Amino acid sequence: MTSRGVRFLSLLLTATLLAATAQAQDIVLKDPKGDDNGPGKYVYPTDPVYKKGSFDMTEVKLADKGDTVQVKVSFATKIEDPWRSKDWGGNGFSLQMVFIYIDKDGKAGSGHTGALPGLNVDFNPTAAWEKVLIVSPQGTTRLKNEIRGKARKQRKDIVLPSRVKARGRTLVATFAKADIGGLDRGWGYQALVQSNEGFPKAHDLLTRPVNEYKGKHRFGGGSDFDCDPHVIDMLAGSATGGSDEKSAQHKALSGYKCTDDPDAGKRTQIPMVYPKR
Amino acid sequence: MKNLLFAVLVAACLVPPARAELVNFDLSGNIYTKWLYRNNDSQGVLSLGNPFWPDNMSGDNGVGTEFELLINGKVGNNVEAGVRLKSRFGALWQDWWENGDINYDQQNTSGESLGQNHAQYIKLRGYWVRASPPFPGVESILVGSSDFGMFNEWTIGKIRYIDRDNGKGVFIKGAGHDDYFRYHIGAIALPKLWVGPGWSTGIGDPNIRNPFYSSDWAYGARFDSMPTDGLALTLIGTLTRDAEIDLTDPDAVGSDFPSCTDDLGNPVAGCEPNGAVDSFNRYSNAVVTLESQIDVWDGGSFNVIGGFSHSQIDPQLAANGVAQNEGVFPLVFDDVQGWFVRARGELFDVGADGLTLKVELFNIDEHFMTIFGARREADVLLTDGFIEGGQLPSLNLANEFVDFDDAWYESIIGWRGVTGIAQYEAGVLDLTIEGTVIDYNTNAQNRDVDTIYPTFLHTDGYTDTDIYDYANVLDRGRDPRSVYKRHQDRLSAIGMLKAVFKTGVGRGLQIGLKGKFIFDSDNRREPSLDSAAAKALTGAGDEAFPDDDYLGLITRGKVWVAYPFFDGLSFQVGGQFDYWDEQNRKGSLEQGYSDDVTVKVKPFLDIGYQLEGLKFRYHLEYVYKDAQRERDLDRTYHIVRSKAEMVVSW
Repeated sequence: MTSRGVRFLSLLLTATLLAATAQAQDIVLKDPKGDDNGPGKYVYPTDPVYKKGSFDMTEVKLADKGDTVQVKVSFATKIEDPWRSKDWGGNGFSLQMVFIYIDKDGKAGSGHTGALPGLNVDFNPTAAWEKVLIVSPQGTTRLKNEIRGKARKQRKDIVLPSRVKARGRTLVATFAKADIGGLDRGWGYQALVQSNEGFPKAHDLLTRPVNEYKGKHRFGGGSDFDCDPHVIDMLAGSATGGSDEKSAQHKALSGYKCTDDPDAGKRTQIPMVYPKR
Repeated sequence: MKNLLFAVLVAACLVPPARAELVNFDLSGNIYTKWLYRNNDSQGVLSLGNPFWPDNMSGDNGVGTEFELLINGKVGNNVEAGVRLKSRFGALWQDWWENGDINYDQQNTSGESLGQNHAQYIKLRGYWVRASPPFPGVESILVGSSDFGMFNEWTIGKIRYIDRDNGKGVFIKGAGHDDYFRYHIGAIALPKLWVGPGWSTGIGDPNIRNPFYSSDWAYGARFDSMPTDGLALTLIGTLTRDAEIDLTDPDAVGSDFPSCTDDLGNPVAGCEPNGAVDSFNRYSNAVVTLESQIDVWDGGSFNVIGGFSHSQIDPQLAANGVAQNEGVFPLVFDDVQGWFVRARGELFDVGADGLTLKVELFNIDEHFMTIFGARREADVLLTDGFIEGGQLPSLNLANEFVDFDDAWYESIIGWRGVTGIAQYEAGVLDLTIEGTVIDYNTNAQNRDVDTIYPTFLHTDGYTDTDIYDYANVLDRGRDPRSVYKRHQDRLSAIGMLKAVFKTGVGRGLQIGLKGKFIFDSDNRREPSLDSAAAKALTGAGDEAFPDDDYLGLITRGKVWVAYPFFDGLSFQVGGQFDYWDEQNRKGSLEQGYSDDVTVKVKPFLDIGYQLEGLKFRYHLEYVYKDAQRERDLDRTYHIVRSKAEMVVSW
């Protein structure tokens, strides 16, 4: 082999190793199929647009792309756009909405413990979050407006993507790394799956409610009060996708308590997933 | 008497006062207001209304409001019910006293002479009951309103948004196995209008004396299967049937033979009253599609769909609109079978992050007929198309009841070709490049457009959707439904480039540009036909006929700048430039053809604002059009028009 050939091969090898190293830095969090039922008893709305697996998250991948962080959230079925999002300034899909919470310091008492309005869950105090990434079909203008009105306290820690698109069964969102403050495997992560609601309740951040009974555009199996978690799927356990993570999710989302008083219920507390622990 | 009065008073005090019980109700509502203004003298709140029956709500200058209330009843875990109440849209803010009780032929000073279109009455627009009985294999049964979204654009299309609850039927959804076999079946009451020959199910058809529409139904069945992870198969079959009574049946009202004798008093063979009335199919349409969605690989997504249609029309029960309505008819007036296939592939991150390649092959037979397919608000092809709203596989499109800024839809019956798209989305740039080539299964010579194939009267010239009128007094070009011609040898190509620069300046300045070029050629008559016809008619050669070849070179450029001045407020300003160079744009063999050049300039402004449940949008545009026409007088347009919409939802 000529010296030029050797040089080419070594360059190729180096490039491959660098690529592999970059791949290794990706944070991959898996979630089992068939757990798109919140605490175990939630059911989809009855309109035909909500198809089996539409909210069944299977994987979350965060990749460092230099100045940006690319987030891929995969589902069990192809992501569709039944409400023609381009007509309302959307991003090419209609139904799904994902919140990715990040605990950057792992310190108890540091960060927010309440999830964004409409999700009805709190984080364990030891897993309070510093940043949340929103992946939504809604355009930035609508999102910012809703955040300004409904999540004013958390506003500075909410990160919106510069670009979102649907590719097959995966949502791909690009965030400015500077807005997140980096990307680290030592941080804690939690992805909460919801459904985009263009006509949300007064205090909900574009989320679709879970009611006691399922409805045309309402999840069922919860409560009509805001005590139940409005989360359809989430990461659980160590996020390896094992079937035991279904029961871990059900348990995490079942810690709520509703009473006859709409304002007196107790919300459930959910954990983070720490890839390095 | 005093005791009785006392007892009544005590009872009245003991009975708890009546109160609103809303625990079992889920209420939501919205108020929608539209402002429509243009520099002309028409009054109304709808740019293009009913193309056939005149209505008195269409017009370009007016403000109107509507209200709707949705009531969902929480009956139980297994039963859901709901209704939608909505006021009639069409009243102007000036119609203070309209109550709809008198409808004179013209406006007068009574203040109440415009009829129900202006009376803002509340109508029960939709109602549904959904039950989930504990039957094996059954998930739910829906009785009442549906938008038919469970089927697809090729079979029974999702009903347009303004009619979303008008359709009624009975639907059963369930599964034999959650992954391998799911089903959704339904029986749908046909609307009196549009789902049939002549846009009716017998109403107004001169061949029908007693339109019998209450037994007109469509039936649909959808079956889904996911045999493996990432593979989804969907089979849909639909049958649409417009039935009419057998007028030779002696039991039928208005029977030809009520006493089973003919005009001469002779008995009619086989005629015998039996207390039952037979019916015939005026029209029937069966469509079957099979679709596979393949997502087994993260690097790509693939979709293949194919289908078959059968369209059968009874010429004794359906008037031939091709012959009698100047070719304006939503079907081929014959019994025809057709097919289609569309294959689409998408490859993600090809060579570089953010680069997506899409390829689509499509082939729609000239006889594919779907009377109940999607009419608008859908798009089955990737291409930007001739018309940018969407491409749909039906002659029964709905480009009416729209405003000037609404999307347009064109028929793709007979299209065959390929589209390639490259999308690059990275950094500050979103770039899309498209190339499409279309040949036509409808290419033919001496096609019978007199009695069989509808032409929609206006078959030639690039369609001007900015300045459109149904009767084409404005020379707006081809009807978007016109796919058949007497002589056609057409080939088209579309090239499109769209780029959006997300500069990040300030709060997020965006600059967009779009360029589009359409090559559209139609050799129309073949020369061999010229020679034969010329000799037959005049004894002369080809010189007896004019050159009829069409060549349209359509160029369009658009540029815009968008900036969000603050959260909730979007602002966009831009302009569009069109240059259409069309050889032999319009004319006929007898009259000859003309080479026309059209120049259009359209600056525009868009403002959007959202505040909690309130959304506001304002669009203002100026349309300058200079049509330089060889055979007719040149025409110039100066149109200023605007539309504002405000909707509040709670």
